[in-house]
Amino acid sequence: MRGTDTPAIAIRGLTCRLGDREVLTGLDLVLQERRIGILGRNGSGKSTLARAMAGLIDTIEGSITIGGDDIRKNRKAALRAVGILFQNPEHQIIFPTGLEEVRFGLAQMGHSKAEATRLAREALARFGRASWAERSTAALSQGQKHLLCVISLLAMEPAVLILDEPFSGLDIPTERALRRVLEDYPGTLVQITHDPQVIAGYDRALWIDDGRVRGDGPPGAVIPDYLAAMTAEGTDAFADL
Amino acid sequence: MLSLTSEIPTPFHRVPAGAKLALLAAASVAIFAIPSPALMALPVILAALLYLACGLRFARQGLRALRPLWPFLLLLTVWHGFTQDWGNGMLLGGRLLSTVALANLVTMTTRLEAMIAVMARLLAPLRVFGVKPGRIAFAIGLVLRLTPTLLDRGRQLGLAWRARARRRRPGWQIVLPLCLTALDDADHIADAVKARGGIPD
Repeated sequence: MRGTDTPAIAIRGLTCRLGDREVLTGLDLVLQERRIGILGRNGSGKSTLARAMAGLIDTIEGSITIGGDDIRKNRKAALRAVGILFQNPEHQIIFPTGLEEVRFGLAQMGHSKAEATRLAREALARFGRASWAERSTAALSQGQKHLLCVISLLAMEPAVLILDEPFSGLDIPTERALRRVLEDYPGTLVQITHDPQVIAGYDRALWIDDGRVRGDGPPGAVIPDYLAAMTAEGTDAFADL
Repeated sequence: MLSLTSEIPTPFHRVPAGAKLALLAAASVAIFAIPSPALMALPVILAALLYLACGLRFARQGLRALRPLWPFLLLLTVWHGFTQDWGNGMLLGGRLLSTVALANLVTMTTRLEAMIAVMARLLAPLRVFGVKPGRIAFAIGLVLRLTPTLLDRGRQLGLAWRARARRRRPGWQIVLPLCLTALDDADHIADAVKARGGIPD
């Protein structure tokens, strides 16, 4: 971890259209807490916000900076500033073996191949998974794939880690084990979820609805409103699907 | 990387990939220059000895790797038996067998990564024409990574078909969804590559 102070994520006038649908509408946010939860229903725009914050969407209006760096324009700085864990590890794993998967991001950050290899092996060993270096990523189980993605990200030590509902579909012990690893992360965590329980102990909760911020504050204040709205909308949830 | 590299350690694993490939090229040229069927036994025996020097288990693995060759050897036998031209048959058969066996030996004892590194070095002069060797190596890795995924998608679509169809074998109708999921996967992988700094040169 570089430095202990938390870099600010500054979002100004963020609007994002996918086709002719406006997914995010004029978001203005400054996030400086260490644990931030983003709540919202399916299709609320929360995943798009996550991808935009990771600098993955080119066609946005407005600006996003992390620690002062524009993460869309300065991709090299962005690698140190922000990492993202996708919903589906199948979408995240780029390489056929474990070592290459972990090493890729490190090499991209500017480490020499030998140094990146050393750091990657170290990262795998830290999780007791040194033997995955030569293992085929295709042959890993679902939980193992999730863990490999986590190891690849943590090895890069980004200041901000964005988790886009990362562990849906895992069994309870596996999910808990992975969550523990992430909760110990010294940097900033931005957790995207539809499940308020996951972020109950966080410093700040944002509730995104229809591309706008509908609630913002400590989880203790936002979650009850969110739950009340979810229960109310539950009666005719199909109406807007 | 995943590859046909043998897990059984042999002395040849330690020989640099470039040296092995150069030797293979020289041996192939020499084998093609052999004029008589009797002399053709030489490279075949040499190849067999090289395999055996790495132990019986490795040699058996090598023999298995030669299996795709049998139909061709059979064809040669049938044809040259028909034309009564056994000498030429031995010459061609021995040439095929020894070159493929030697090439397999190099493949089995070389990590794919080392092979790609050699390729990147050989392609390096093409940089002046705008070829980016790093990208080619990256593409090879992606193919190895995504082929099993693509096959798996096909299997899943086949199952989804079977779950709701009377005919057991999925029809041509799954081709389009398979293409679409492949494109969708490609989009996601592109995001993953971008999230970690883009395609290396």
